[in-house]
Amino acid sequence: MYFVYKNYNASVLGILGGVSSSNIIMERVVEAYVGEYASGKSEVAINRALELKEQSWEVTLVDLDTVEPFYTLRPLKALLEKKGITVVGWEAKETFGLGETGGLIKPAVRWVLKRSGCIIMDIGYGVHGAHTLNLVEGAYDDPHLKVLAVVNVARPMTATVGDIIDYVKHLGRVDGLVSNNHLGNDTTVEFVEQGHRVVLEAAESLGIPVVCAAVDERLREEVAKIDFAGVPVRYIKRYMPGAIW
Amino acid sequence: MVEKPITGTKKAFMTGNEVVAWAALAAKADIMFGYPITPQNEIMHYWTRLAPKFNREFLQTEDEISAGFTVCGAVQAGKKAFTATAGPGNVLMQEPFGMAEGMRLPTVAIIQQRGGPSSGTVVYSQQEVTLTTYGGNGEGHRIVYSTSTHQELFDYVIKAFNTAWKYRFPTFVLGDGYQAKMREPLEIYDPEEKGIELVPAKPLVGLPGSIGDEREPAHLCNIYSLEEELYEVVLKLAQAYEAVAPEIVEWDEKMCDDAEIIVVSHGVVSRAAYDAVGILRDEGIKVGYFRPITLRPFPEKQLREAIKRSGAKKMLIAESSYGQLMRLVRQEIYGETIEIHGLLMPGLGIVDSDIVAKAKSLL
Repeated sequence: MYFVYKNYNASVLGILGGVSSSNIIMERVVEAYVGEYASGKSEVAINRALELKEQSWEVTLVDLDTVEPFYTLRPLKALLEKKGITVVGWEAKETFGLGETGGLIKPAVRWVLKRSGCIIMDIGYGVHGAHTLNLVEGAYDDPHLKVLAVVNVARPMTATVGDIIDYVKHLGRVDGLVSNNHLGNDTTVEFVEQGHRVVLEAAESLGIPVVCAAVDERLREEVAKIDFAGVPVRYIKRYMPGAIW
Repeated sequence: MVEKPITGTKKAFMTGNEVVAWAALAAKADIMFGYPITPQNEIMHYWTRLAPKFNREFLQTEDEISAGFTVCGAVQAGKKAFTATAGPGNVLMQEPFGMAEGMRLPTVAIIQQRGGPSSGTVVYSQQEVTLTTYGGNGEGHRIVYSTSTHQELFDYVIKAFNTAWKYRFPTFVLGDGYQAKMREPLEIYDPEEKGIELVPAKPLVGLPGSIGDEREPAHLCNIYSLEEELYEVVLKLAQAYEAVAPEIVEWDEKMCDDAEIIVVSHGVVSRAAYDAVGILRDEGIKVGYFRPITLRPFPEKQLREAIKRSGAKKMLIAESSYGQLMRLVRQEIYGETIEIHGLLMPGLGIVDSDIVAKAKSLL
């Protein structure tokens, strides 16, 4: 048996169950998504924010990508706000003219944990990115905060059990893994299944749970046959291909 | 025994910069010299993460001029060396690249184009075509591959090392900010397992045997104090380059046979061009697709031949620059009477609908 839920308190079990309307989340969710560059942090964070919004939560999505103006939430900010999410981060046009200095975080990010409702933080750029959580006032004292590492075995630096273990150990505090195994448009059910097994094994060795498996919603019917070993599945709609800049 | 970086063929989901680092490992590159610049940084980041695991090396130099010259030095010592840069870094590296041209050094450089004119603009563009093909104070005796997908980035980085060491001309892989940061699936592989022979590196200096008796002098020199000497050297370089150019040149041509308009593009824009040609064909509009893969040497004969065969009266050049590819095409096909039109969008990405609309406006 894989180690999945152990040591998780009630609020986290709430997170785990947040897949359908039958699993209503009762307590405020505060999650920081960290992980390898291009592992899917932003995509998972956006989908999580939208899922919580659907459950009538007040949701703030925070852009903590401090490095470069590429593939961040910026180009999607307006779209997400239309869907009722508060996005704390720059809009692409606000950084017009800043050039490389456009890598600064929006000052409001620092105080974001003082806000009410659910807070989803998208923390860019790998190991160094994970440390930028320091910039958020009170981050490590927040009783609700869960730091979740997004893992895709199609990323060569996190392709094997050993690679994932080494990588996650470098990230600092990690409370759970998100099993996000895909090959973009080339994703197959077999790939999702094999990847998930690798992530489960790594999580077991690390002694942390796999909080969910993220799967492209287009594969919803096909993955029904997969045994996710009790890990809830979050069906992901892909927004990031529209965020190239 | 250090493990091979890649065994067999594996599907991966990567950014273009990572692809370059993995391809350089697969090509058995020994060392990267680099200086940070967006949008190529992750080539360095991933190389420095990977290199120690596979006994490869890295040196961050004090600037791009040094990065270029240290590559020139390392290849003379028989190391497969490379660098990666962009924009103003590419400008600074033109001095060492000129030396590499003059001395026929097998340097490899990956250029992830960014916008200009500027020292600090980091965003996508295709404005380093002129600089990469004809930059420096030489005659452009260099090889430039322009890639369009992550699979091609992987394939052509491996090929670039082979081309450089086989022909001994400085070799470039020209990507861009989109290719650098974009993420898509590809197959990574060990080239030798696929039957791709890796041209070995060998020292160009300090060779055994006494000069004159046992071997010819290497004549690795790029400083000439007599005009006649320089003239002779440049003509020899030109002759050597032109002799091998037909073996090196690469292009892709589709649906040109009956085309009335030929769409010419390179790099990532050619993906949009290919889709646009398909859309126009579906509407019964006779459009062809021509893409130079090598910008140097340019597939001049092949483009002329496509114009002749099709009898096309118009050419549409689509590029994210204000005419750098267009100037290259014009000089290469000088004398052709085909009308040349441009969809020139410096800094902007080009999508299929842009090309479809422009092509229709030419009907």
